Amino acid sequence: MKRGKGMKFVGDSRIPDREHRMKNIPKDYSEYPGKTEAFFPNYLLKEWLVGAVFLIGFLCLTIAHPAPLEQEADPNATGYIPVPDWFFLFLYQLLKYEAAAGAFTVLGTVVIPGLAFGALMLAPWLDKGPERRLSKRPIATGMMLLGFISVAYLTWEAADQHEWGGAASIDDDVREIDTTHPGYDIYVEESCIACHGDNMEGTAMGPDLYDLAYDEEGVAQIVVEGIGEMPAVIDADQTEEIETISEYVVSGGGTNEGAGGAEGDEDAEDTDDDEEDEDADE
Amino acid sequence: MLQRIYDWIDDRIDITPIWRDIADHEVPEHVNPGHHFSAFVYCFGGLTFFTVVIQILSGMFLTMYYVPDIVNAHASVEYLQSEVAFGMIVRGMHHWGASVVIVMMFLHTLRVFFTGSYKKPREINWVVGVLIFFVILGLGFTGYLLPWDMKAYFATQVGLEIAISVPVIGDLLGELLAGGEIIGAQTLTRFFAIHVFFLPGALLGLIAVHFIMIRRQGISGPL
Amino acid sequence: MSEKNHNVSRRQFLTYTLMGVGGFMGSAMIMPMVRFAVDPILRAEAASDMYELTEVENLTDEPQSFPLSFEQDDGWVTQQVEETVWAYLDGEDVVALSPVCTHLGCTVSFGGDESNPDQFFCPCHFGRFEQDGTNVPGTPPTEPLHRYEHEVRDGIVYVGRPQSQQ
Repeated sequence: MKRGKGMKFVGDSRIPDREHRMKNIPKDYSEYPGKTEAFFPNYLLKEWLVGAVFLIGFLCLTIAHPAPLEQEADPNATGYIPVPDWFFLFLYQLLKYEAAAGAFTVLGTVVIPGLAFGALMLAPWLDKGPERRLSKRPIATGMMLLGFISVAYLTWEAADQHEWGGAASIDDDVREIDTTHPGYDIYVEESCIACHGDNMEGTAMGPDLYDLAYDEEGVAQIVVEGIGEMPAVIDADQTEEIETISEYVVSGGGTNEGAGGAEGDEDAEDTDDDEEDEDADE
Repeated sequence: MLQRIYDWIDDRIDITPIWRDIADHEVPEHVNPGHHFSAFVYCFGGLTFFTVVIQILSGMFLTMYYVPDIVNAHASVEYLQSEVAFGMIVRGMHHWGASVVIVMMFLHTLRVFFTGSYKKPREINWVVGVLIFFVILGLGFTGYLLPWDMKAYFATQVGLEIAISVPVIGDLLGELLAGGEIIGAQTLTRFFAIHVFFLPGALLGLIAVHFIMIRRQGISGPL
Repeated sequence: MSEKNHNVSRRQFLTYTLMGVGGFMGSAMIMPMVRFAVDPILRAEAASDMYELTEVENLTDEPQSFPLSFEQDDGWVTQQVEETVWAYLDGEDVVALSPVCTHLGCTVSFGGDESNPDQFFCPCHFGRFEQDGTNVPGTPPTEPLHRYEHEVRDGIVYVGRPQSQQ
């Protein structure tokens, strides 16, 4: 704090009197030879113009693509293939490779990312020379390009190998099946539920059971004999069970409208189910 | 009137030097896209900060509806997104903003690297910048558990397994992050606390240091 | 009294005291918070109960998945949890495997990979396990699938918690 001779203060504070304070006058840049300008307001205005354009684009993005929200977390969902957000995909992909997995998992999870980010942080000391031009420091430039390309490649590979459709089908078309139907008990008891999902929505092991191409006889035959990877689940002599489950499955667990043989389930198709269908359509 | 209010305040706390210092600092020609269009690469730092501001604001508003509880979290997110007016946009801003921050920060890092701006005397600011990078990635990681949907749950499981694979301290680290042996109620509250209080606190401190150092050192000269 | 005559000057003494008091304030403030934060790690594990899985006669030589439902305490929440158990008969013995991949915790399924129909397959990083849970060398997992403790009473299989095989 300057305290010259004849200096006056505002009351008993340390703030000098007005004539000794800095004047509120913008700095004059006309004396500068280049095109240097003041931050405020000249340059800030340009930055804000860029910011405004950016914001418009950003808002368009948010309106065009609503943030995704999948169904509530179900720790038991066996068919779900998790995939991290895109910015962690490269790490996720790295762990698929043999050299960074198995006994070398530590290499993939700690050593390689640690080295890469450690080198990034220590860049000023690894690249100490005074040169700033890219062409004058080929090693640093090369390392950065290598890192950039490998991250881009890993991200691309991960995105390429992931079954996006598979994840989406679990996400989208889940209907609430009628759990009061006697068929539901059979659905649970015979472990249909393990492969075809809690709501017949399907998992990685079994397809969804909505809008099947089979009629009741077809389903009855599959239940007794199995089909493809699906084993036989019910003995042929349990005709009553077979009839119930076939009817239940063909009606999509009470969610198919006007499904053949689902007349008896009209009551089950109450308003709740209709609402669920509308949700699914959205 | 405004002038009199300004003078009244200035008489008491002498604010002119504080803000004139920020307003009058010179912006050299080589970073000004108005003179060289290629100088737009110098905008990425500012855009990162702008998006961080969007993130902080939208995040503050999201907590008006969000509940960090496994029973209600998903329902509250679904409610705020589908029922609340503009909920789609506010959550969309926060969701996509997370990606945009990382893209912008990545471009900013590349710009600083390829212009060699991290060299003496700006080493400390580079290190602070890399720390900001880590904090932002941490925010991204803790943020996506919060809606408690399928993706949140299983991606977090993979993330925690990565933490557990760290030698020696891995198991403790994983348990400390998850708040127990399973990913559940205590994991969600923990991630909420980290996402909303711990990391943003660290982020604001680091950003302040970052900016103060830029002001003290000035921007690096032309190549 | 000149400050030079002392080994520890007044200023140094005050600085040390200041640091000591600061350290006390800092640690007294932080210690309870740290203990608060690490509490879940230090809690003793509760003994696990056995839960009914299925009847023995439902098991075959081929692993099948069975739903296992039990109550789980998670802090202030007690939840009904559904887990999947892959069980099969190895001669007379019941083998109950956890579908949690030992690599990074995704969920495996038996025959999930078409080219290896009698192995467990993890879709995340393509890890594979033999039918008995042994990890296939050359794939990411480093240890076998965890096995459930189990017992058979009156023709019904009861399982506890999955245990590491290492």
